[in-house]
Amino acid sequence: MNTIALLGQPNSGKSTMFNQLTGSRQHVGNWPGKTVEKKYGTFQIGGTKYTVVDLPGSYGLSGNSDEEIITEKFIKEGHADLVCVLVDASQLERSMYMLADFAAIDIPAVLILNMMDVAKGQGKTINASLLSQRLGIPVLPFTAADGKEYDKLKSPIEKEIKNPHRLITKPAASKENADANEKYAWIGTLLDGVTKAGSSEFKLSKFDQKLLHPVIGKIISIGIILLGFLVAMMICVPVMGVAGMLPGLIGPPIANFLRGLNVHPWLVSVFSLLIPNTLYFCASMSAFVLGVNIVFGFLEEIGFLARVAYQFDGTLSKLGLQGKAVAPILMGFGCTIGSTTGTRVMDNWGQRMLTIIVAWAVPCGSIWSIIPVVSNMFFPVWGTALVVIGIFAYMVILMWIVSKVFGNKLVAEDQRSGMIMELPPYHKAHWGHILKEAWFKCRDMFMRAIKTVTLVSIIFWIFSYSPSGTVESSLLYKVGTAIEPVTKFFGLGWQTFMAFISGAFAKEAVLGTLNAVFAGQSNLADVAFHGYTGSVDTMALTGYMTQAISGAEALAFIFGVTFSVPCLMALSTTYRESHSLKWTVRTAAFYVGAALILSCIVYHVSALFML
Amino acid sequence: MKLSEMKVNARGRVRDLKGEPRFLNRINSVGLNEGALFQVVRNDRKMPVLVYVRETLLALNRKDCEKIEVTEVGA
Repeated sequence: MNTIALLGQPNSGKSTMFNQLTGSRQHVGNWPGKTVEKKYGTFQIGGTKYTVVDLPGSYGLSGNSDEEIITEKFIKEGHADLVCVLVDASQLERSMYMLADFAAIDIPAVLILNMMDVAKGQGKTINASLLSQRLGIPVLPFTAADGKEYDKLKSPIEKEIKNPHRLITKPAASKENADANEKYAWIGTLLDGVTKAGSSEFKLSKFDQKLLHPVIGKIISIGIILLGFLVAMMICVPVMGVAGMLPGLIGPPIANFLRGLNVHPWLVSVFSLLIPNTLYFCASMSAFVLGVNIVFGFLEEIGFLARVAYQFDGTLSKLGLQGKAVAPILMGFGCTIGSTTGTRVMDNWGQRMLTIIVAWAVPCGSIWSIIPVVSNMFFPVWGTALVVIGIFAYMVILMWIVSKVFGNKLVAEDQRSGMIMELPPYHKAHWGHILKEAWFKCRDMFMRAIKTVTLVSIIFWIFSYSPSGTVESSLLYKVGTAIEPVTKFFGLGWQTFMAFISGAFAKEAVLGTLNAVFAGQSNLADVAFHGYTGSVDTMALTGYMTQAISGAEALAFIFGVTFSVPCLMALSTTYRESHSLKWTVRTAAFYVGAALILSCIVYHVSALFML
Repeated sequence: MKLSEMKVNARGRVRDLKGEPRFLNRINSVGLNEGALFQVVRNDRKMPVLVYVRETLLALNRKDCEKIEVTEVGA
């Protein structure tokens, strides 16, 4: 009982209100039989518990997509005791369209005039009580991104649940359902005298004239995004720095303590080495997610990302995507986990899944820090520059291949909708809201990472544990060398293949693994896990690696590891966001397969030119 | 004429919308229905067309704009 449903167009602030109302008391699932995400949560007013359902994003209730069908069905079947219809107060006439659609259904409702802060900023006034009189339901001026506003909601919700109101008017319909003209006519009558229509004359601001220019705008967009990454790094580097001291600080005392208790050395190294490093690793990954989400949350909220989407719509339509996909794809240069969750802005599931798969092709921040290190071991500076250019070029090719392989299955040619997007007026950022959303994502990521990374670390640790202390007695060596004849075909010897595998779990583990498998003499597990903390001796590793493998193999490895599965957490996030095990497995299989084919080609071609 | 053929800053009225129901519903829901008055804000080659309608700045895919028949109206 006490179920409240939130209904509104995708940019009405519906998700913001949902997150602010429920905080961390959220549940995410699937609508029965569909890949559409079901989000619900709870909140309390004066000891009474309410359930709130975030109805899937739709532009109306005309049953044109899975999302709209689910939303309409949910309301019609009376699952909600109260429907909060959210409209954008700064563009009232247009956004009332959702209410006009909803009016055909006879269910208790409240109208929320969201983004009142923007409307006020534009000098607009809305006579809410007159509108409420005409509609027969409460009308509430509101700013969903402002946490202080929520007290205003409490008493109307309590009252309406007890004593609900229904709309007393609906659009006149000449046929069974009102058409668009009849709906807008209804809205026009309702708003007459409630609000003055703004000027019909529109002039772009000086800044928008530049930002929306086809050439200058693209340059500014890219510049601001790059600056954004710099800021994101400034946010996450200190956190990573502090977390990086963790293994050094808590590892030795734990080790001493456990040795004092005479426990098995195996357990000593699990607790003093594996667990602190796993913690550090999860913390630094979450810091990345935090930084990227704060910056992109800010750019989204002020209205900048919508303009970037406009700029790159043409480019992305070649991949079967639309402009909105630009933000998640760019986020991918920071962190693939960020880009995967960032796809929530996409209109429907198919577009969203395709964007996730395309964004996987973007090498993330972690791999960019490894490419030059490995490349410099084998090639001069200009060679490394060529490698970086090659990586960029192949990234574009891979995105194109992905769109050809998956595009039609996910977004059929005739279903491809071009960009129909609103460019919101610039508004001030609500920092509290941005930080809160970023924090939720970061915390969620950390909790999931702790579980998965610990598990995988333990598996890797068992494989790399060597009772005698030399590589040859580890399971990793035995398995690696046994399958080497096969991996050699793909250009990877057993050492680079193991590093390739570890790269699919976490790119941060690549250098540690390389160090472990090439250094050889010391305990494999110890070296690998120390690698997480960045204490790899690059000079020594260069010596080992250049002696052991050829330049061609190194090049094949660089390309292979860069374009394989980004990391375990990206995989787990993809499953969580797509709600489709089938597509998550397909994506992972495609990337591993494509990476091996790529390293095979790179190896055999470059072997012709290199010694 | 088609929306995509209009000049910058010109004003027009939607005369006819073509396309499948999905597109029609979507375009109606953002404020462009038959008879809606609008202003073209930008119309650059190979870029979405920027249109101001019902106090909203909209970016519309170029190909979709070919499905929107309009008549120009004087200022």
